[in-house]
Amino acid sequence: MFFNYYEPTSLREAIELGARFGGDGRFLAGGTDLMVQIHRGRLDPRHVISLQRVPGLEAIEADGTISIGARVTHRRLERAPDFQGALRGLIEGAEVVGGHQVRNVATVGGNIVNASPAADVVVVLLALDARLTCLGPAGERTLALDGFATAPGATALGPDELLSRASFPRLAPRSATAFLKAGRRRAMEISIVCAAARLTLDADLERCRDVRVALGAVGPTVMRARAAERYLEGRPLTDGALRDAGQIAAAECRPIGDVRASARYRALLVATLVPRVLARCLERVRLQSS
Amino acid sequence: MTRIPLSLIINGQTHEVLAEPHRTLLDVLRTDLGLVGTKENCLEAECGVCTVLVEGAAVNACILLAAQCQGRAIVTIEGLAAPGQLHPLQQAFIDHGAVQCGYCIPGMLLAAKAYLDESPEPNENGVREALAGNLCRCTGYQRIIEAVLSAARVLRASPTPASPETAS
Repeated sequence: MFFNYYEPTSLREAIELGARFGGDGRFLAGGTDLMVQIHRGRLDPRHVISLQRVPGLEAIEADGTISIGARVTHRRLERAPDFQGALRGLIEGAEVVGGHQVRNVATVGGNIVNASPAADVVVVLLALDARLTCLGPAGERTLALDGFATAPGATALGPDELLSRASFPRLAPRSATAFLKAGRRRAMEISIVCAAARLTLDADLERCRDVRVALGAVGPTVMRARAAERYLEGRPLTDGALRDAGQIAAAECRPIGDVRASARYRALLVATLVPRVLARCLERVRLQSS
Repeated sequence: MTRIPLSLIINGQTHEVLAEPHRTLLDVLRTDLGLVGTKENCLEAECGVCTVLVEGAAVNACILLAAQCQGRAIVTIEGLAAPGQLHPLQQAFIDHGAVQCGYCIPGMLLAAKAYLDESPEPNENGVREALAGNLCRCTGYQRIIEAVLSAARVLRASPTPASPETAS
């Protein structure tokens, strides 16, 4: 509960502090998770390193590869003009998180590093094949978001490393994204299940060329429904095919039962949300192409 | 524990305080500055009673370190209107019977203010969404929402000049 506080003003300085404190230090972005964990006594860092005055973590770049700085807030994400079109799934993932007060400060980087299995925006980034840039005393390395979270709250990030941005390739033509979430109420709710998809269609606008299906809150980490993806690739996207993909995804996810929902109900939600989120992508691609 | 000197611009006035780095803005507002209009409840950014404006944006003061607010302009409920006066939102809350126990109201008002500042022509869904981070356990929200919509009409009809406290 007691800690020293630092406000580095450059990436270099932030990394030096991170390296100096290692496991005794924590980077602070929006604080919507870190401060709660500290108040609950689950985390007790000796040193808190605020990133608020570190430049270079706040940009959304959308020329060529798309890059989202670690300190981009959910509120900025949901208003980003670059994501209004085919990347709308990112907005849909951001706008269901908390209330305005939380979204005004909660960051994309914090959401990724926090490694909640129910992280809404992270599920969308997973469907976009995002890669993460991590900076440490040894330099920079790039990790796939897929596999970055290793368990609830645990990631491949070293204790002396800082996540600086998530990036993903520009979407191919005839692509769209979408995100859907199930919760007990519409606002201020942790997802019971959430699902995102990124779909690319063939020139005929019937057949799936390439697809990602990502799920949240149905396993120890956010996950891709790989069997469902394999099933869909090359297949005409009839209602029946979408329903089958939902069944396959429901069979491959590994939900637990908890206070929010039973494992069985979560699997049923996956079987429902996956076809819906794919149908939404399909509709968006066809609308863009018409 | 080392204390750090902080310069906080609260309701247009600069306050110099010495605070330990782990202390939240909420704690410093209430304990050091006596600004107890900002309420304390869940301490987990769930309920919204501690909502204040930082650089015009609604945030939960319970998870914000005072140290993070160095040099930033903060508006609390005490600065929503000039002393002795009511902001149109406050008047509308009274007129619509939107207040029962009152505990959530400072946060409601500031969240509503931030929302109306950027969306002067709101619809009901927009107001509901803007207040989703503020819990009220008395009124059922309907009158609060009606009050915000009504205040928006008043503000559009005669936009009050921003008081020095709320100008940021």
